[in-house]
Amino acid sequence: MNKIRIIFVKEVLDSMRDYRSWSTGLFWALFGPLMMGGMLMLIGSSVRGDIEKPLNLPVQNPGNAPNLIRFLEQHDVLIEPAPADPESAVKAGDVNVVLVIPEEYGQDFSSGKSATVRLVIDSSRQSAQVDVSRIQGLLDQYSSYLGALRLVVRGVSPQVLRAVDVEAVDVATPQSQATVLISFLPYFIIFAIFNGAAPIITDTTAGERERQSLEPLLINPVPRRIFVLGKLLAAFPFSIATLGITLLGFGLIFNMLPIEEYLGIRISLNVITLILIFLTCLPIVFLASAIQMLVASFARSTKEAGTYLPFIALVPSLPSLALAFFPVKPVLWTMLIPTFGQQLLINQFMRLEPISVSNAVISTVMTLVISAGITLIAIRLYNREQIVFQKS
Amino acid sequence: MIEVQGLSKSFGKLKAVQNVSFFASNGQITGLLGPNGAGKSTTLRMLYTLLKPDSGFARIDGFDVTAAPLDVQSRIGVLSDAQGLYPRLTTRENIRYFGRLHDLNGEALEKQIDQLIRLLDLESIADRRTEGFSSGERLKVAIARALVHDPGNVLLDEPTNGLDVKSTRAMRQFIHRLCDAGKCILFTSHIMQEVAALCDKIIIISNGLVSAQGTPEELLRRTGKDNLEDAFIEAIGSEEGLE
Repeated sequence: MNKIRIIFVKEVLDSMRDYRSWSTGLFWALFGPLMMGGMLMLIGSSVRGDIEKPLNLPVQNPGNAPNLIRFLEQHDVLIEPAPADPESAVKAGDVNVVLVIPEEYGQDFSSGKSATVRLVIDSSRQSAQVDVSRIQGLLDQYSSYLGALRLVVRGVSPQVLRAVDVEAVDVATPQSQATVLISFLPYFIIFAIFNGAAPIITDTTAGERERQSLEPLLINPVPRRIFVLGKLLAAFPFSIATLGITLLGFGLIFNMLPIEEYLGIRISLNVITLILIFLTCLPIVFLASAIQMLVASFARSTKEAGTYLPFIALVPSLPSLALAFFPVKPVLWTMLIPTFGQQLLINQFMRLEPISVSNAVISTVMTLVISAGITLIAIRLYNREQIVFQKS
Repeated sequence: MIEVQGLSKSFGKLKAVQNVSFFASNGQITGLLGPNGAGKSTTLRMLYTLLKPDSGFARIDGFDVTAAPLDVQSRIGVLSDAQGLYPRLTTRENIRYFGRLHDLNGEALEKQIDQLIRLLDLESIADRRTEGFSSGERLKVAIARALVHDPGNVLLDEPTNGLDVKSTRAMRQFIHRLCDAGKCILFTSHIMQEVAALCDKIIIISNGLVSAQGTPEELLRRTGKDNLEDAFIEAIGSEEGLE
């Protein structure tokens, strides 16, 4: 125990003096909050901006349908002259939508037939969606209004046309793109834990070999498992600090930005939620350190380790990707997978959903057991003579 | 005191060390001489427990290197081929870390560190970080670190490799001093003059085998030569890899 402490203290002191590597770690800790804050602000401003602004609508031949144009103008639409070639202008993205009123519109309209107008749109352009659906809604509204008027003139109640009246009750919170973004938040937290441990693990394993100090070190009368444990534990404070800073960053951003007003969804990152997330993530500190230690021990140099470790930090993002597109309920099997279970739990904490205590316990125990297993493998690796004299 | 009996080690098909036996006693300097690749470092690495012998045994002060590695490790001071220091730690901190791993602490450890710093003339760089030290300075720190627990047996792998004339002389004087203090010194070299100048006993290794061993006088008598260099070349059968 005493020797574990000696190794721990030396590695922490050594790493603290490696100013450059832990300041890089600090950047990674703030990376998630800054990126998410920036994206939330962008989404927020674009969603709000589109609805408040009057809609500029290029119209070809507005003179053919004066009543329709008047109706649109009453609904906050600014009519503009259409570009010469509406289709290529929309395709090129110069305008979002063009309304084309054909020559025969007036004639069809007066004879009581369905009068056709053409809407030129590009359905693959996400940013045009707000404009397109707004103008489509207005045209529908105008059409039903006129239809109803015609029925009334003929002495028929407009309601006979409405055999079924659809009244939608939307339980989904709006702005689904923001929800997708938010579902990556748990991953950013886990990513920070891995990145906080990486520089220390690299320096104490591959770095030790690279600077030729591993051989003299291992000649000291200390069992190899003590070295492994001391070095592993030395990564913990850095990893935990990175986790704390990341959570603090998210906390600040979610409490300073008017998220609810931006997105219409309720995300809570109050102090208690942050503490719960912190505790839930602590076992991942062990996992991240152990798995990175195992991999870095194979590397001959810090540079080589630096090419492996980022991949490992990316692996826990796969469940997050899946979560963003296929919502998974926090059931038992998900809790058995380290990092996946925690991501679901973080999501629940943020949404203020009730947490199943057994889920939290299973996820924690499972992560600790797997981390201990990985540590044992690392110890076995360090007991082989190839750890010092590997063929290069 | 080091006893080696029938020690062998292979790496795949390469027989690095075959049936090597010798004895190195306290208060004597024993040299392992041989060309590069003869198996000197492999022999030493088995003695300092980082390689396991395929057959044979080696004992240090009576402790077997395979059965009791921790007892062996606390009785040896090793200057291996790899001499990396921790560049962000000072000279003193580098030495202290190894001292603590040898269960030393408190005032006893600090006194020992001070003594080594004086002995090796490290005062001016004692509290500087070792980053940017010259190769001579690095070597001295590595020696201090290896001897911090005052071991009875000192193993040195090519200790003068890459040193300038002045440092080489200082190194040889230091080895003599350790010997005078009653320690068992075992060092490897491929430099004939060095071995001739320093050693009480010489073990000549080539191709993993001991080809001759004894005091300088015994080697002269056995090979019938009148100087040691000729005797070495006679014993090895070639000049290749020697200096």
